[in-house]
Amino acid sequence: DATQGRPDDCQSCPCPAGATCAVVPRTREVVCTNCPAGTTGKRCELCDDGFFGDPLGQNGPVRACRACQCSNNIDPNAVGNCDRETGECLKCIYNTDGFFCDHCKEGFYGNALASNPADKCKACSCSPLGTVDQQTSCSQVTGQCQCLPNVIKRDCSACQLGFFNLQSGIGCEGCSCNSIGSTN
Amino acid sequence: PRPDVIAPPPGTNLLFAQSGRIEHIPLEGYDMKKHDAKAVLHLPEKVIIGVAYDCVEKMVYWTEITSPSISKASMLGGEPTAVIRTDLESPEGITIDHLGRTMFWTDSMRDRIEVASLDGSQRRVLIDTDLVNPRAVIADPVSGNLYWSDWNRDAPKIETSHMDGSNRRVLVKDSLTLPNGLTYDSQSSLLCWADAGTHKMECMNPSRGDRSTVLEGIRYPFGMTSFGKTIYYTDWQRDAVVSVDRYAEKETDEFQPQKRTRPYGIAAAYPQCLSGQNYCSVN
Repeated sequence: DATQGRPDDCQSCPCPAGATCAVVPRTREVVCTNCPAGTTGKRCELCDDGFFGDPLGQNGPVRACRACQCSNNIDPNAVGNCDRETGECLKCIYNTDGFFCDHCKEGFYGNALASNPADKCKACSCSPLGTVDQQTSCSQVTGQCQCLPNVIKRDCSACQLGFFNLQSGIGCEGCSCNSIGSTN
Repeated sequence: PRPDVIAPPPGTNLLFAQSGRIEHIPLEGYDMKKHDAKAVLHLPEKVIIGVAYDCVEKMVYWTEITSPSISKASMLGGEPTAVIRTDLESPEGITIDHLGRTMFWTDSMRDRIEVASLDGSQRRVLIDTDLVNPRAVIADPVSGNLYWSDWNRDAPKIETSHMDGSNRRVLVKDSLTLPNGLTYDSQSSLLCWADAGTHKMECMNPSRGDRSTVLEGIRYPFGMTSFGKTIYYTDWQRDAVVSVDRYAEKETDEFQPQKRTRPYGIAAAYPQCLSGQNYCSVN
């Protein structure tokens, strides 16, 4: 406030070099108005949308703003792809999940880091009849569903040799064929 | 000049969001008075996506994604007030029905389009099926129609319904990639869109279905608004607001703010509401 006639009427902006500042009339709060490229916030302490970091080092060492790191599993046309400070990915696509969109989401398996989207994460599609508790999730890596007793295949959709009645929903039963009268 | 086209009235401003603030650019006729552009709202911690204007109460409304919410503030000065704070994940496009006193918005994570009164009450889900990346939404209260875009990479589309969500149908699905921006001009009854994938700006009369290209080779459109012959859009690669004369089919001007970062939503703020009445306000 330059109208008071005191030597400390004008103070320097509490902003990084190059930025200007203004006083909000109602609250007398000082905000930076032209933050350096890629930064924003009252004190230029935040990164722009689509970037993350800690440009003033408010929570540890200074980390310059850089583009969201989400394993190529975000869409550049989306907004709010990652947390502006931590970089946590918020909009994973291709059925991926995790801090860096680096693993498959629940109910999917495969390699979230494969270069071709079609090779990334596939649905577990566990057979409800052959899977323990009708689970819909499977091993993230192999895709193996958790099968009931004597049930086989990745998706628990078949009985092992010598067993039948997958329909029972409690596993497959032994055939109990008489070895003398049977061909196998 | 075409006799059927009326220029924006004196006192019209463009409002657009960029990096935690809403700026305005006064219009003189169709021209942007770039030297008079300035920030009207500072929200330094926010990421503002959609912007809409209520000509009745002279309020600007916006969607925000860092603490997902919809807020409003008077253009005549005044503190921002949140009107919707719950059950939002990524609110994006927003539009005001100034006659029915309601707002409509898209949410790209909840994959829905919702409606509520301007104070946030009487909230209701309008559309929650077959949406993947809903973005722009536009209401035309005079005819009672709603339009929205979905940039789903596998099946992008522009759809319409009545303002109660009934009579939903797809208007455009071919030769579409990333339809980010959408605008409806009631003077010409034209729905226009800007596509960041095909890099085209196109228009159609929604009741006739005829489609024509206004401009090709545009860079990366995001938000869009129009008045008569002029379309204004924000561009993520040019970090600018660009004006286009849709009859001359050429770019007419560009405003590049000092701050080099992506601009998002854009809306026109008129000094008075353009006349009009809809069936909802009558009974």
